[in-house]
Amino acid sequence: MLHFKVINHQLCVGQIEILGVSSASMMQVGDTDIVSLYAMFDTPPESVVVGPIAPFPLPGNAAGTEGE
Amino acid sequence: MESYSNQPVEGFPIRTAYVGSVCIISASQSAIVQFGDRAETNAKLRALALQRQEDHLTGGDVFFESYAIFDRPLPELIDPDFDRGQVVQLQRTNCSPHIAVGHIQVIATSSSASLLVGNGMRLTGESRIKHIRQYPRPKPFPPVGC
Repeated sequence: MLHFKVINHQLCVGQIEILGVSSASMMQVGDTDIVSLYAMFDTPPESVVVGPIAPFPLPGNAAGTEGE
Repeated sequence: MESYSNQPVEGFPIRTAYVGSVCIISASQSAIVQFGDRAETNAKLRALALQRQEDHLTGGDVFFESYAIFDRPLPELIDPDFDRGQVVQLQRTNCSPHIAVGHIQVIATSSSASLLVGNGMRLTGESRIKHIRQYPRPKPFPPVGC
């Protein structure tokens, strides 16, 4: 038997900024007992872009950079 | 999974969430924004994202039933001991009755997502998304001599 002890002290948050919450996901301020989130995602290989699509210009200080 | 809710909570058994202000630009496609407590959430999303060369009016319909991802069963934990609460004994101690957040800024919630200020008991979220590309195969090079 595993004994799991949680002590919640003061919880005060200044600000939360979120871009997006999507696809059966959650954002909660509060307590909860059980959370189960499932995600199934199927996409063809063509939609995965390997490598840069557009050639990027050299950075400003190109001479001083480490390079790959 | 029932076992957690019956286990002891010391100190303050229920914490209250205090939020100063909330700013949400968009809550779309069955998204939930709730202030207050909630017992059970069962959020489901099924999506077929189709990209095709042909117009959708002439290209025809697509059906969820055609793809196995939409009726594949969810993985399940089979452990009778866990269900009886004999694996983990969880003890929570809340030293303060509050959870305070000054400001929440959200650009968008969508697709069965939930934004909850308050307590929940059981949340189950399920999303199944299938992407399809419908384009003609690139033609092979013509044989020599053509």
